[in-house]
Amino acid sequence: MHGTPRLTRLLPLLALVLLGALLPLFVPQYYLYIGNMLMMYAVLALGLDLLLGWAGQFAFAHIAFFGVGAYGTVLLQSRLGLPFVVSMPLAALLAGLLGLLIAFPAARLRAVYLALATFAFAEGAQWLFNAWDTVTGGADGLRIKAPLLFGRALGDDLRAFPFIALILALVVAATMYLTTSRLGRALCAIRDSEHAAAASGIDVRMTKVIVFALSACYAGIAGGMLTTFQSFIHPESFGFAQVVLMLSMVVVGGLGSLAGTLVGVLALGLLPEVLRTTMRSLLIWQELVYGLILVLAMMYMPRGLWGTFVRGKAGRKTSR
Amino acid sequence: MLELVLQSVASGIVTGCVYALIALSVVIIYKSTDVINFAGGEIVMLGGYLGMMGLVYLQFPYTLVFVYAAACTFVVGAFFDRVVLTKVLGRAVPGQSILVAMVIATVGLSYVLKGSVRLFPYTEDVRRLPPFLSGEPVFFGTVVLQPQDFAIVGICTFLMLVLWAFFSLSMTGKALRATSQNPRAAALVGVPVRTMRMTVWGIASGLSAVAGILLSSKLTMSPDMGVIVILAFAAAAIGGFASLPGCIVGGIILGVIQNLVGLFVSSRAISVAPFLVIMLILALRPQGLFGGAVMAKKV
Repeated sequence: MHGTPRLTRLLPLLALVLLGALLPLFVPQYYLYIGNMLMMYAVLALGLDLLLGWAGQFAFAHIAFFGVGAYGTVLLQSRLGLPFVVSMPLAALLAGLLGLLIAFPAARLRAVYLALATFAFAEGAQWLFNAWDTVTGGADGLRIKAPLLFGRALGDDLRAFPFIALILALVVAATMYLTTSRLGRALCAIRDSEHAAAASGIDVRMTKVIVFALSACYAGIAGGMLTTFQSFIHPESFGFAQVVLMLSMVVVGGLGSLAGTLVGVLALGLLPEVLRTTMRSLLIWQELVYGLILVLAMMYMPRGLWGTFVRGKAGRKTSR
Repeated sequence: MLELVLQSVASGIVTGCVYALIALSVVIIYKSTDVINFAGGEIVMLGGYLGMMGLVYLQFPYTLVFVYAAACTFVVGAFFDRVVLTKVLGRAVPGQSILVAMVIATVGLSYVLKGSVRLFPYTEDVRRLPPFLSGEPVFFGTVVLQPQDFAIVGICTFLMLVLWAFFSLSMTGKALRATSQNPRAAALVGVPVRTMRMTVWGIASGLSAVAGILLSSKLTMSPDMGVIVILAFAAAAIGGFASLPGCIVGGIILGVIQNLVGLFVSSRAISVAPFLVIMLILALRPQGLFGGAVMAKKV
């Protein structure tokens, strides 16, 4: 796992970018919408996994940074007249800076206290999106004008798809690099034992702060992605239910593994669509099903779908 | 103006007592199992709906309803610990925090409970249980209190006293405290640690259920009322997640703060007050308002 990523590992990313360019030509709009959603969730989940899976820091604040990214991208365009290519990275940066700000007090807190503090922060942020209605449109939501990318309008599933695929490919490449770098190894060391990490010369506090900010940046990017294919954002999209969904994706897929996270995003992102199309009357079961999946995954698959799969394969090899 | 302030303080104390009860249930679970129970609010909600079921379908009298809801949730809590948490504990994966796994399991439980309650008819609307004590309101100068308010404070105080007596006088309570201080040492002197953990989860859930009925008769009930747990977290944070008297005081402080914020700032700011309390306390005094120096937990 450790070492610089080999070039062959980048091939799937190239395929992703190509698919992004080609699929919109012949796939129906509804599937493109699901694809966009899944790719956005993938960026969110990868960011959360950096924090939760790699660094072992249990934080709920992710959703707030997602909101900052989305509202930031829209407002920078509509209020300050910045072009989309500037406002989306700027909003992601803003989310990262906010993450940095939160990270300093948060890095002092351990495990459960951190979960609690960031939970409060996330709920507070959602409250702000709701209450600050002169800027965010409050509970009525905020209508988005289709953003322009080098003169071409995005704004719907068809036109945004190639762009979103490209962003996901870049984010995955960045994650591959990050997790195999010195920082990635430092994160694992902190997760396994803060004391041992500190004893081997890792600046625990600084590393935590950096990963917190990075993870916030990911969420900010995902927020920007949301504004390219939705025409409307709403405080409801940044609530606790979304946190639970992201958490389930990371946990069910497999903590601390890129492939695992992507598997989790696919599995749980498609679940509501499957429920909606095949068993419309069963939609009321959705919350119950998600809860059960979380509980059962914790009980029977602590390594997640991917971890269990990889281990099963390794187990067969050694037994032979 | 003074009358308004006094009135808000008085009714803040009443709801604060209920928050304190929920905070107690969160803290006793945290102290004995290190888990923050994110399903705490949903157990409160379940208690409220069990109360409604007892009153409406089973036609129980109110006193019996309290006992019945507490008994049902006792089973739910104990069952969750025995079946789910024990399994999660036993499946530790190297390089993964077991606490994270357990907390996520409680988040899962909260969704399971909310989802199951929604499956029943008549849960889609916001409802309210009938008051369990009616009669003439009582006047203290300009402050008006309903008889039910006294009953709420009375029930909460009674339960807190029972809890105190249980933990400090009874053998089981002492065993529970031993378990929470050092499970291994407790096991060595013959305390059945597993049973103790189950008992704590059961007792905590029973307390939450009573709080649920009290809340649903004073305020309103809906499947989403579980968000109330944030108030309990804030109250527990004031007590440093360690001190039981601290979290009772914390609950009452929060009830009063909520009402005063509603009076002086705006009614929209009420819901953000507990988040601010949690963040401020965790950032500035993680040991709680009443805690001494920070105590290092076992590494």
